[in-house]
Amino acid sequence: MTITAGGFAGKVLRVDLSTGKISTQDTRERYGAVLGGTGLGYQVLWEEVPQGTGPFDSANKLIFATGALAGTSVPCSGRTAITTIFPSCWPKALVGSGHMGGQFAAKLKYAGYDAIIVEGKAERPVWLFIRDGRVELRDAAFLWGNGIHRTTLQISQEMGADCAVAAIGQAGEKLAPLATVVNSLSHSAGGVGGVMGSKNLKAIAVQGSGGVRIAGNKEQWERLVKFHLSILGANNQHVVPSFPTPESEYYNPGSRWVGEPGKRWGAAKPPVEITGSIRDMSRISYRTNSAAFFLGEQAWKHTVRGNGCTSCPIRCHTTLKVPAMATKYGLDEVAQGTCIALNFGRFFFPTLPGGPKGEAALEACMIGMNMADDMGIWSNYGQLQRDFIKLSHDGVFQAKLGSAEYAAIPWDKWRAGDPAFLLDIIPRIGERRGELGLVLSEGSGGPFDHWGVTEEAWGADHATTYWKMGHPKHHANEDDGQCGVIINTQYNRDAQCHSHTNFVRNGLPVREQKRLAGELWGSPDSVDAPGHYTRMNKYKAQRAKWALVRKELHDCLGLCNWMGPWVASPIKERGYRGDNSLESRFFSLATGMNLDREELDAAGERVFTLHRALTIRDMATADMRAAHDRVPDWVYEDPKDAQPFTPGTIRMDRDDMSVAMDQFYEAMGWDKATGAPTREAYARLGLAHVGAALQAKKLMPGDKS
Amino acid sequence: MTPEAAAAFTEAAVEAVREASRQGRLATREDVLAAMEADGVFLSPVGLEAEAQPPPPEDRDALLAAIFATAPDINTFQSLSGQTVYHAPDLLSQTYAHILDRKGSPLLLMAEEIRANSRDYPRPVPVELFEAPPFDLTPEDIEQALRVMAAGPDYQDIAFTTSSTGAVYLFSTRHMEQGYAAFLAQRAESFVMNP
Repeated sequence: MTITAGGFAGKVLRVDLSTGKISTQDTRERYGAVLGGTGLGYQVLWEEVPQGTGPFDSANKLIFATGALAGTSVPCSGRTAITTIFPSCWPKALVGSGHMGGQFAAKLKYAGYDAIIVEGKAERPVWLFIRDGRVELRDAAFLWGNGIHRTTLQISQEMGADCAVAAIGQAGEKLAPLATVVNSLSHSAGGVGGVMGSKNLKAIAVQGSGGVRIAGNKEQWERLVKFHLSILGANNQHVVPSFPTPESEYYNPGSRWVGEPGKRWGAAKPPVEITGSIRDMSRISYRTNSAAFFLGEQAWKHTVRGNGCTSCPIRCHTTLKVPAMATKYGLDEVAQGTCIALNFGRFFFPTLPGGPKGEAALEACMIGMNMADDMGIWSNYGQLQRDFIKLSHDGVFQAKLGSAEYAAIPWDKWRAGDPAFLLDIIPRIGERRGELGLVLSEGSGGPFDHWGVTEEAWGADHATTYWKMGHPKHHANEDDGQCGVIINTQYNRDAQCHSHTNFVRNGLPVREQKRLAGELWGSPDSVDAPGHYTRMNKYKAQRAKWALVRKELHDCLGLCNWMGPWVASPIKERGYRGDNSLESRFFSLATGMNLDREELDAAGERVFTLHRALTIRDMATADMRAAHDRVPDWVYEDPKDAQPFTPGTIRMDRDDMSVAMDQFYEAMGWDKATGAPTREAYARLGLAHVGAALQAKKLMPGDKS
Repeated sequence: MTPEAAAAFTEAAVEAVREASRQGRLATREDVLAAMEADGVFLSPVGLEAEAQPPPPEDRDALLAAIFATAPDINTFQSLSGQTVYHAPDLLSQTYAHILDRKGSPLLLMAEEIRANSRDYPRPVPVELFEAPPFDLTPEDIEQALRVMAAGPDYQDIAFTTSSTGAVYLFSTRHMEQGYAAFLAQRAESFVMNP
């Protein structure tokens, strides 16, 4: 029986590329306990993908899953998680997920599906056509070899403009571990494109004519949506503007809230001038301009609009138009993106004429956005570019590349900061051309495996910001002391967690942050001012747990963890409080499954623990503390030898971090010696069967592995 | 004065302040009284007994003081020029109000903003901050102010640090150590490379 009270679309689509068989399963009945998104993906991997499966084996599965809140009017609910055995995890591929916004999640829900499980391998290139109940595998021979832009255009011409296309480019086709899946032109999920390529699946295009039912009271729902809008800030939930304004008591020059009356989207036709109140809910979209944040004032005159995901007013994918792109570089003069993707090109250069916000930087960003999102290249959160710079500076390219290949690379342009250098280097990586392209497209593991550089050397060099297992830090001790470090130990790729950093970077004065922290996590001491760290305490451990559980919860519900959680707000009258129960209130109203905050957090913890169990199973050791939860040496060093806990250093103390891990494991109910969940922890979360399976493999705390 | 009359005066006075705040201005006593006069509240005060007269001009300052001593949601402070000024903080924040008040004195404007940032957030501020609205100082104004501060005994706490990108950040040694300021400046510059 199909149970579809609300929130969920109701069905999971299963596509076997080897046999061509297409079937469906009931979402709630089969996957309700893990909510959707990454939870659904982890469950499929746990149940169906054998231990030891490689990322490009046909036995690996690729799970595109959104959640109960995607496709609804909940702000910031446009996310799709793509979970698989993650190729860039080094030295052994383990469970991981890439995440994309855009329009794909909503379209999938409107077509009637919460997720797509892709299994097997097609004999020849295909693409998946989904129009409501009509699902077909179609020949993709005419698309293979094309970039994502052309693929999206051609499929859209065939299906109609209202479809969402998630496609791979040349990098994915050539099984690059650093390959993306991209939908809606710029919304990319990192690391999973090569798995799609290995299955000969070029694209998934979806068109839906349905909707998402809300089970609860509609007036309550509308009120809650309006309330959520009222507590939104700008991108990353920065709740104060970057400039003093009559309507705000606080400001922060580092805030991503850069839009204010008087600024203009200069490349719109006609140009759009921001007017009125920046606090007005109908003007939220004007607050964020990612290009202006990263590239400074010059970006405003090139801004066409703010683009973004379904139901999201933040519009963080800023669309830019730079005519010089066509005349100087022969590329499209329009590109859009945010954060790392926006900076893809710029990050290759140690220095650029005019500095990081000059004209060359703008052009490098435009080239990078255009080419990387077309070829489907993932930057590994900027590690690709940092690796490139370090390998160049250390002379590794010169030593390891053949002389002809080395000489063919226009190093003079790179040294001069000429953006045209990118026209040479990006295709090498995207097409996996030559030794350089082949190795760099593997991620940091490539140079480790092929060129004799060591992970230890990378982990000792602060400039690399390398963390472990082939991936970099992602908001670690530079933002949030012990909490940041703990969070960065937990995943098999960069942590991608923003729950903690969206709070510490929200722009409020530290006394306001501490007041809120006291209410949220039991003590003002759960938060420190950046670079003014105090010793570990149990409240920080609680906050680290909260951050990770909420991140996982967002990835299950289709919410954006780049924006949430929404525990602070711009509203002085509320004491700058947000709402720590927003997710459970939305979930309960949408689905009719009444879960309070603690109950929904427990579901998020269940999913996070399942990720842990999968990691333990596939690493074949329960000793996560030693084998997995590693911290690079640079975290324990300071360029000026400043001691830990002195103002102005992010250097952490080894003994204190050992205490931090103890307290975190304790907060999770895990074994302190190994960092593995105990039998009781699995049982408490409804995962007794998982614990039993690991026990049978002697992968529980105390077992010798 | 009847309660109705007192309420009418209060409403008119508060609205005068709120209107000024909406327009991004601080209201002086003169502004408020002029607005009340223009509204005619002193000509036909609601609720005054027939034989009563509106308050004479010499009593109106006291009337305003009494009104704003108890008016909710109106802030009062003494401006740099010595005048009492009013603003509605929900429309014109305290921070912004003090910036407006100090706009005539670049030296004090910069110094107090630097001190508040170092004390409250805490953080050093990029020198370019003062070129942008609402400060709107010219580079020459800023340079001159910094030169005077360097020599002036009242400003010896104002210091600067330069990031590796060459950006200059200002802070107050009353509230922040040099090393921490340098760290925070470097961190602020790194945001564009640390998304």
